[in-house]
Amino acid sequence: MSEATVQNRAPAGADAPRSIYLPEPATLVDVRPMTKQEKFFRFQMARAEGMKYMPGQFAEISLPGIGECPISISSSPTRNGDGSFEMVIRSAGAVTAALHRLSPGDRVGVRGPFGTHFPVEDEFRGKDLVFICGGIGLVPVRSAIHYVLDQRDDYRKITVLFGARSPEERLFIGELYDLKTRKDVFFQETVDVADPTWGGNVGVITTLMPQLRLEADRTVVIICGPPIMYKFVLLELRKLQVANRNIYVSLERHMKCGVGKCGHCQINGLYACQDGPVFRYADISSVREAI
Amino acid sequence: MATFYVTEEQLAAAVGRHEGPAAFGAGLTERLPWIAPTPGALDVAALSRPRAAQSPKGFFLPALESLGRYGTSAGTGAGPAEDGRDIVLVGVRACELRARDYLDQVLRDGAFADPTYSRRREQLLVVACDCVDCTDSCFCTAVGGQPHPTGGYDVNLAPVGDGFLVEAGSERGRAWLAERLAGAIEASPAQLEARDARRRDMAERVARQNADFGLAVADADPPTLPDDGDPAWQAFAADCVECGACTNICPTCHCFYLYDQVLGAEQFERVRNWDSCLLASYHRMAGGPGMKLSPRARLSSRLANRVLHKFDYSPRQYGLLGCVGCGRCVEGCLGEIDIRRVVQELRR
Repeated sequence: MSEATVQNRAPAGADAPRSIYLPEPATLVDVRPMTKQEKFFRFQMARAEGMKYMPGQFAEISLPGIGECPISISSSPTRNGDGSFEMVIRSAGAVTAALHRLSPGDRVGVRGPFGTHFPVEDEFRGKDLVFICGGIGLVPVRSAIHYVLDQRDDYRKITVLFGARSPEERLFIGELYDLKTRKDVFFQETVDVADPTWGGNVGVITTLMPQLRLEADRTVVIICGPPIMYKFVLLELRKLQVANRNIYVSLERHMKCGVGKCGHCQINGLYACQDGPVFRYADISSVREAI
Repeated sequence: MATFYVTEEQLAAAVGRHEGPAAFGAGLTERLPWIAPTPGALDVAALSRPRAAQSPKGFFLPALESLGRYGTSAGTGAGPAEDGRDIVLVGVRACELRARDYLDQVLRDGAFADPTYSRRREQLLVVACDCVDCTDSCFCTAVGGQPHPTGGYDVNLAPVGDGFLVEAGSERGRAWLAERLAGAIEASPAQLEARDARRRDMAERVARQNADFGLAVADADPPTLPDDGDPAWQAFAADCVECGACTNICPTCHCFYLYDQVLGAEQFERVRNWDSCLLASYHRMAGGPGMKLSPRARLSSRLANRVLHKFDYSPRQYGLLGCVGCGRCVEGCLGEIDIRRVVQELRR
């Protein structure tokens, strides 16, 4: 499309307030490969106050002229004293592939944070917490896990179940080891398909669930993973008599604008970008398109 | 609020004196309203014709617009400053005002105000108009509306014989009238009665032509429809060719796409254009095998989504129907899908 066809052209440098649709400058300060598909990134906003967010929220990351995509924030605000934030990005399209080619010092655009967050300061307090994460679903939940571990006394038993398709797709391997060795966390993991290096559990994540000993009325369960995982995990949770109001899920849609207007992430009468991405399952259990 | 009587000549002269462009909603059957606000003469006869083929949506939410430039050489992060300043929309109909109220809910009100929409919303002066004629597909009365405006305008015109009854609906409208129609005389009781009779006749006519559809719904009384998985949707989807005409022509459809345009080295412009939920690409997400790459992979669920958004989701989200009964999608559909018949046949 040629430049001349755009109606209502904006005069550069106009005195208008910053638009909710325009990215703010940020810098890539650290990048590390994690798996064949995913890389770890840490960004720092140009604005002095940095990124202010809560676990479970997401931001729109953009590369000028290439595009923009919604990515969950993976770090906890309890650990971002310098205002930076972390993301794990899978190379899955034009923007994410270009992000994978960046080096420290490169500039990106950021809008956000947007959306709802895990109620770490409300419903989670004083409860037994069970985090059930499949694959890249660990990424947004990691923010909440770090948050509750940093304020460990505010919560009761903490359980983390993690499943990956294969050993080489495990994320945050060092942190998984830390979780396994911590005395104040019950951690179990599994892979769908093992390889010769793997000595642990083999099977889908629901095979870890029968060993859970839950006190359903004081337990909150957090689920994030691929769409197919929710169905089976929810079935298991019903057997364990966990009420839908005590289950939180983080859903993925293409949040294009992030501010509840463009329509792309609409799930029936809800916007994943504003009413979500973190939903209480009781609020969406009857929403046909949600899961 | 006082109602005045003006002749056609007085009205044409008053609008002709407007310094900026004036866009005539009623006369736009052959023009795209978002391209060419027309300065100059007012087509008075158009005010007595049915609503135009296109709604004035594009004046509030242009089909393609810049949301601002950014980059090292522009570097401001500012949105556009000039929008609908000095444009007067003449001949906006009741259904179109209702559609704009709906757009207000989505784009202006709530947690984030859309800057360019909000600015245009303030800047555009709206001169509305009673409908004294309708198209075969008009059905405003079937969705809780009336063919004459009941509020939300700066000025309203009611065609009566050789002239118009004119009424201000806002302070801005009152000032506009005072400046341009200072010599207008107050309407007589007989003229007011004639206007009201015409309004009743018009409402009856619209109701009569929709009697067979049995579609008596309202903002607070939406129909109960099956979810998108119901096979009943497939019969209608069979006629849909995924052209997106219904969403483009709809005065409340507001979905948009965002992208960047490269203006030069390190200078970019964020642009938005209308998008359509009927198109498969609208729903596409990134991801590999095992991921749900399109939440609405089937055309029947996309068609269902559009209708359910109007008649089910919007009443729950905003307390407003997303359909104002203008009938434009009925006219625009290449597959001759009539949304009245869809709701009539599927409602429970």
